[in-house]
Amino acid sequence: MSLASVVSQPANWTERLNETQFAYLMLVPVFLLLGVIAIWPLLSTFRMSLFADNLTSAATVGEFVGLQNYVELLSGQREPVLPRPFFDISQPFRSALLVTLIFAVVSVLLETLLGFAAALVLDQEFRGRRWFRVALILPWAVPIVIQGMIFYLMFAPGIGFATDPLNNLGIFGATPLTNSFDSLVIIVIADVWKTTAFMTLLILAGLQSIDRSLYEVGRVSGASKWQQFKMITLPLVLPAVLVAMLFRSINAMRVFGLIETVSDCGTVPSLSCMVVQTFSSGRYGTSAAIAFLTAAIIGGAVMIYIVQFARGQAEVI
Amino acid sequence: MAGEAETSRQSQEEEDAGLYERWVQESMQNPERVYNGLFYVVTLFFLVTMMFPFYWLLVLALTPNEQIANMGLLPRGFNVEAFVRIFELLPFGRFVFNSIFLALLTTAIVLLLASLAGYVFGRLEFPGRQPLMLLILAISYFPPAAFLLPLFDLFTGNVVIPLGPVAIQSPVLFNTPGAMILPFSSLFMPLSIFILTTFYAQIPDGLEDAARVEGTTRIGALFRVIMPLSAPGVATAGILTFIAVYNEFFFSFLMNDGQAQNWAPIVWGILGYQGQYTQFYNLMAAASIVGVLPVVILVVIAQERIVSGLTAGALKE
Repeated sequence: MSLASVVSQPANWTERLNETQFAYLMLVPVFLLLGVIAIWPLLSTFRMSLFADNLTSAATVGEFVGLQNYVELLSGQREPVLPRPFFDISQPFRSALLVTLIFAVVSVLLETLLGFAAALVLDQEFRGRRWFRVALILPWAVPIVIQGMIFYLMFAPGIGFATDPLNNLGIFGATPLTNSFDSLVIIVIADVWKTTAFMTLLILAGLQSIDRSLYEVGRVSGASKWQQFKMITLPLVLPAVLVAMLFRSINAMRVFGLIETVSDCGTVPSLSCMVVQTFSSGRYGTSAAIAFLTAAIIGGAVMIYIVQFARGQAEVI
Repeated sequence: MAGEAETSRQSQEEEDAGLYERWVQESMQNPERVYNGLFYVVTLFFLVTMMFPFYWLLVLALTPNEQIANMGLLPRGFNVEAFVRIFELLPFGRFVFNSIFLALLTTAIVLLLASLAGYVFGRLEFPGRQPLMLLILAISYFPPAAFLLPLFDLFTGNVVIPLGPVAIQSPVLFNTPGAMILPFSSLFMPLSIFILTTFYAQIPDGLEDAARVEGTTRIGALFRVIMPLSAPGVATAGILTFIAVYNEFFFSFLMNDGQAQNWAPIVWGILGYQGQYTQFYNLMAAASIVGVLPVVILVVIAQERIVSGLTAGALKE
């Protein structure tokens, strides 16, 4: 038996499979990886979230407590053992769920507005368009830790050019990076700087799929540019905008590294921050419950998207 | 030219009118000009805001550290020494090397596995195709925090794997590339799967059949015919994966002890300067510039691929 035929033997064996068997065989490596590194951890996190914290013995978690972790987190009873409240309407900038939601909503809205404006610019033909696009994409490609460092260096007390003027105007305190509200504003700005490009590109793709002859019709019937924008551009690009907003919201809900670099998790306690903090202090049950609540909120958003849009999309594809 | 003469005559006639009223008058008669003006204002706004943070890093890096206090917008001096010092105080080169090494290895794994899945989803019809794609999509939108606890236990050898009669401890991957490459791969693979599915689906069946007639197996056809013909798609998926890994924070931060010799990536190089050399703002800025260079070069070279990948991947989903 020659070497070549030995090498080709397993391949010949796969040739005898039918299409379905072959498809599932090819997917084995992918799902082996996803199974061990994604699906098992997810299920395991959920299981852990049903057990009490264990700070005394070597075991990772204590006794089975059902949904008690979730109930106590949402009702505020767990507050004494948490670094910051989970949900406290009286201090929105210091409670994890509210900080995360405020961050996600505000930054995604700003990114949508700016992304739309940038997409309208890129939709035109002009000299230097290519370089404008590079300038726009560059922040998107900056590592999170460096993005955080840039904004840390802009607002660190004593060096930043903006800190003193903003303080004198009464907008920021003297040390904005240790103030919850100021830091949240800075983190929103940093996020908008980095991710507007992503919004822009998705909205631009939507803009470029619009049939140009519609504008011809608009012009002939005497519609002004603003009317053309309102009656043609906006409704046709809206699906792309909504999809882009959903993707961005999902990502914004995970914010962690940016906070850790610009400020710290005690000042701007996002949900992911709190998972890491409770995890570090050995409260595995609480940590898992917060992690799974975060996942559940995001999962809920994805499910709504799949149910609402997948049908409409399927017809397009 | 005639239009210009007319405008100047009109503005002479309206000399009494206030500046604002005149401006409104002119705008209403010549809306094109307002749109052009607006276009340049918006373009300039984006160029300045997107580029300014990079400029600020350069200002700080070039200014000798003892002069960094209440900085204006111009560098005080031209001190390139910071770019040498950052490699001496911490093994910054090793951190950058670790990041590039982790990114390259992850990209290789992702391209290999996502190619198999892309072939299956893009070119084969089989029962369960749609649900499996949705499952992959759903996994990719869970927050990293939801995987953290079980994966940390797994990678620190605290998970017991029952293998029939014997039970073995999971291997200790903490402080090795594996503890980061495995989560990176499963986190970023879904995007590549969707990009490659789109590209592989576009290769005509005839080309694959021709290769098969000549005795190539299905797997052989994938790697010798379909993948080379989809080179732009493979490049796109590869570039996006590389950038995503290079930029990642969460697992890069938590899956090692922060030592360069223990495969800590650039996250720890930057945080090292923030944490240990707290007054050396010029070093933080210089390290950030060096750290961001690899992705800047990649974006300038490959912007077309990045744009098409981001939009194709997202729209497919």
